[in-house]
Amino acid sequence: MGDVVRIYNDYKNQADFLTVYVREAHPTDEWQMKSNVKDDVCYAQPKTLEQRVAIANDFIKRFQYPLPFGVDDMNNAANDAYAAWPERIYIIDESGHVAYRGGLGPFQYHPEQARAWLAARYGAVKHEASPAAISPPPAASTPAATAM
Amino acid sequence: MSRTWKWLAGTLGVLLVAAIGILSYVAGSPRNVYGLVRYALPHMHRGTLKAGSDAPDAQLIALDGTSHFHLRERTGTRPLVLVFGSFT
Repeated sequence: MGDVVRIYNDYKNQADFLTVYVREAHPTDEWQMKSNVKDDVCYAQPKTLEQRVAIANDFIKRFQYPLPFGVDDMNNAANDAYAAWPERIYIIDESGHVAYRGGLGPFQYHPEQARAWLAARYGAVKHEASPAAISPPPAASTPAATAM
Repeated sequence: MSRTWKWLAGTLGVLLVAAIGILSYVAGSPRNVYGLVRYALPHMHRGTLKAGSDAPDAQLIALDGTSHFHLRERTGTRPLVLVFGSFT
């Protein structure tokens, strides 16, 4: 989710964003994850729209989530149309066609691919080096650097 | 019970135990295998959309819980990045 927020902050002036909240992936009454207990994210699968909207609002508050937001109806129409559950990213181009179809989460969920699509069109957004990237570059005499 | 049938039943039993064992290892625990099979796989679909497909519309509810809008209202002027997900 942090990745998506960073992409939003980098490209919100060029592209529109919409988060669609779909049925819960790991509610307490289904396949709950231990990490959800640790993070105190414990909800039963919503049975009414009111419950679903309430969880969506909790989510927004907890993470100060900045993306525009919509909640899927209880008939899961958006989820079914986009085969989205548990998580998936699409990019729709200006003509209303699917330009990028991300893989199904959690294993095929790669926000960096959406970033790459946006970067290809609008240019990459440079960030300050992360701690890992500031480590000193390998010396010129290392085999990797002299392989040429 | 003939010898062939004993062998067959034995082999199937061993395969079943091995499959459960491998799945438990991959998913982390037998409990996760149950969760995956019972709650996740039935809802995970590849879908039919491809790059170039017309983006389907759907009615969505705003965070106030009462007002509605259509997904396709948000397309047309700029690319739309659609992020599907849930809290848990």
